[in-house]
Amino acid sequence: MNKEIILSLFKRFITSIVVLLLMLSFLFVLLRYSPGDPTQKFVSAKLSPNLVSKVKESFGLDKPVLTQYKNFLVNLTTGDLGVSYTYRESVISVIKKYLPFTIIFSLLSFLIQILLGYYLALYSIKRKGTYVDKAIQKISLSVYAVPSFVIGVLLIYVFSWKINLFPSSGLTSFNNQSSSFILQLGDYAVHMILPLITLSLGGITVFYKYLRDNLDETFNSHFVMNLRSYGISEKELIKKHIIPNSIGPMISVAGIELGILLSGALITEVIFGLPGMGRLAITAILSRDYPLIIGCTFISGVLIILSNLLADFIRAKMDKRILIGMIN
Amino acid sequence: MKKKLFIITLLFLVLVFLPSCSKKSDQIPNQVVIGIDSDVESLNPLFSFSGYENNISELLYLKLVQSDWDDENGSLVYSPMLAKSWKWNNDSSSIIFYLRDDVLWSDSQQVTAEDVVFSFDIYSDENIESKLYDTFNNFDLDKTKHIKIKKSFEVIDPYTLKINFKKNSIPSLIDIDLPVIPKHVYDKLDRKKFAILEKEISLVTNGPFILKSWDKNQAIVLTVNKNSFLYDSKHIEKIIFKIVPDYTSRLTQLKKGEIDFMEDIRTDDIPSLKQIDFIQLSPLPAREYDYIGWNNIDPETLKKSNKIKPNKYFGDPLVRKALTFAVNRQEIIDEYLGDFGQVSFGPVSPIFKSSFAEIKPLEYNLDSAKYYLSKAGWSDSDKDGVFDKNGLKFSFPFYITNGNPRREFASTLLKNSLISIGINIEVKKMDLQVLMPKLFAKEIDAWMLGWVVGMPLDMYVFWHSSSDASQLNFTSYNNKIVDKYLDEYKITKSEILKDELAKKIQILIYNDQPVTFLYWIQNLVAYNKRIQNLKITPLEPIHYSWNWTVNLSRLGSRAKTGK
Repeated sequence: MNKEIILSLFKRFITSIVVLLLMLSFLFVLLRYSPGDPTQKFVSAKLSPNLVSKVKESFGLDKPVLTQYKNFLVNLTTGDLGVSYTYRESVISVIKKYLPFTIIFSLLSFLIQILLGYYLALYSIKRKGTYVDKAIQKISLSVYAVPSFVIGVLLIYVFSWKINLFPSSGLTSFNNQSSSFILQLGDYAVHMILPLITLSLGGITVFYKYLRDNLDETFNSHFVMNLRSYGISEKELIKKHIIPNSIGPMISVAGIELGILLSGALITEVIFGLPGMGRLAITAILSRDYPLIIGCTFISGVLIILSNLLADFIRAKMDKRILIGMIN
Repeated sequence: MKKKLFIITLLFLVLVFLPSCSKKSDQIPNQVVIGIDSDVESLNPLFSFSGYENNISELLYLKLVQSDWDDENGSLVYSPMLAKSWKWNNDSSSIIFYLRDDVLWSDSQQVTAEDVVFSFDIYSDENIESKLYDTFNNFDLDKTKHIKIKKSFEVIDPYTLKINFKKNSIPSLIDIDLPVIPKHVYDKLDRKKFAILEKEISLVTNGPFILKSWDKNQAIVLTVNKNSFLYDSKHIEKIIFKIVPDYTSRLTQLKKGEIDFMEDIRTDDIPSLKQIDFIQLSPLPAREYDYIGWNNIDPETLKKSNKIKPNKYFGDPLVRKALTFAVNRQEIIDEYLGDFGQVSFGPVSPIFKSSFAEIKPLEYNLDSAKYYLSKAGWSDSDKDGVFDKNGLKFSFPFYITNGNPRREFASTLLKNSLISIGINIEVKKMDLQVLMPKLFAKEIDAWMLGWVVGMPLDMYVFWHSSSDASQLNFTSYNNKIVDKYLDEYKITKSEILKDELAKKIQILIYNDQPVTFLYWIQNLVAYNKRIQNLKITPLEPIHYSWNWTVNLSRLGSRAKTGK
């Protein structure tokens, strides 16, 4: 069985590499043939027209696309994603500056989404059919329908502008470095509260809805009725039978959601001025910074694949049937 | 469950209240926070291409001379900076600079003439790809446009430098207007990899400010350089450039007093800002204008045979004049710019007082538009409501850029006006990155865009017909007399003569109407009234920010409405 699992893992790994390679190749070609020019910012009344051709030459954009692609593949095998046109440093080192924030921010938001979604669904299903349950359902639907930029702006208006409780943007205060470690940590925390709420609200409602529906379905299933007839207590029934049988689809969604979060939360990052991967990617796209766009996509792709893999294995761990399905 | 809830609540409270304690120490009064929309890419003046990159790098690095705006004459003037004085020779073919001997780099090394020579050397090196590459036309250059250093510079002593210009050139102080960089820091770097290698070196600067920190996409903090001769203990100690990408968030922070200074205020925010007693609104004298470009040549012929043929619609100046008559510029100004817009009728901003030609703009008049169209041979021969000529319907696509409500409004207005006189246009929105290559290739017939007039005034790149030097002449405007005047303008030394030439050029362009000039736009800045000594000129408002002071008794930390 263990050998089969390792083989299955290996197969998955190879497939993931092929998917990534295809995705990057497609993106490479798409970028080269899409309109726009990375050297456009070097065109101005004050700059020499010759500067553009010099910059094109140094970016390697004067070479045929096939040669550029060949160079790209060769570099990729050595782990070199190229040099960012905008930052004039290696793509890896640019991404290194933005990725840690995105990982921490995403994981925190993910944790909030999972925990609140889980407890809210549980709380709601236990009161199924009551006004509380109906109210939670209606509110969650309304929150889900509101775009995150509206939530962000609203939160800034209320908590930053009207009540003046939280800062409206940024990751730290200007004098953060001169404070003690505890105060620095607190400073980070206070800056993160509104962005975390903005980013997490939508996800909480998604997890809530998935889990509540599954719990509802499991509650009414025959095996639960059967177990109930044996006189098993409701608490034990929920804990040992209903939750484990309802949580599978939520884990699948969690894998996708985590991947999306790790790719960057553009809108939240822009509204609250946070230095994440989403903002980096959009800046790269707008300035046609091809190596950086590919770098951001590559990192996003890897993170999405990894989080889905993680979700699958958690599901497999919980349900042996899924593991067998994966091996087969 | 209750225990868990208690712990969560407690954690939340700790998170909220701990920083509240630190928040109070945030109020360092002798500083100014400037809100900007995006991070800069480089603070090295060699690569400071964008507006704020330039502004910040000029606070960190000194130039030989400092430009300033003479409001009375409407022109640039230069004052001593790194150079305490200078002396031209009789025929202006060389200049001697006497440098200050009290300027230190931030690593305590002395700033000398060698640094100045090195700066010219590196700025003009093709391997560096600096922002000033291939702009040193008044120097002796080699094939790669690199300045011939030995021929051009003579270091007389560490603080005296002679610069020799090219024979028969017309040099001015603009030719030496560049921030000086340290030789001892950059000399050892491989020039072919310079742009990448310099990133790994901490900045060594000599300006009125020192870089304290640069948190990517968060803030750039500059502190005053107490060793600088520009230092004054009464002036501000710190400038923070806070990066807030979202306009609404930036505005909220300005109103809260978290940000002290912000540019590009939208006109619809003026009423709410006027109600806040600690906010001052100030327009920068206009250097920016919107225009409608009419391609003067036929794009299809150019593409097919690389030949020049007049545009089938806009090749005739009479048609272009008619189209200008059909644009209600005042309505656009009233709707979007209010008091901060002014009808434009030429490429010279009114701020250049002595170069500005007083011409009466073509007022909005649909009858005049129709008259000029019929004079150009256009008529509605088949009575379908659309003008035609030799079987060609007057109907064309009109391009504007995405995300500019003012231009969207202007294009709708234009469309309605043109329909009423018998011209059909189809407004197409496009990303600027996509539109620009089409403009360079002269592929499209009509579009709306904007320009910022340079300092000092330079019309050559926009209006000269030679394709080599005038890459921004998107309309392919060609008037030999204008070309002649532009050539003369370039080589003329006398300011009076230059002003005369500029006026003649404006009149000729006005007669030809290669584009329809729409309106001058004043960039509106808003700042906290506690900032004092702020100088609003057509140059960037933070130009002389080391002279700013802060009224410490006036902390606009929370908006108080003046109702």
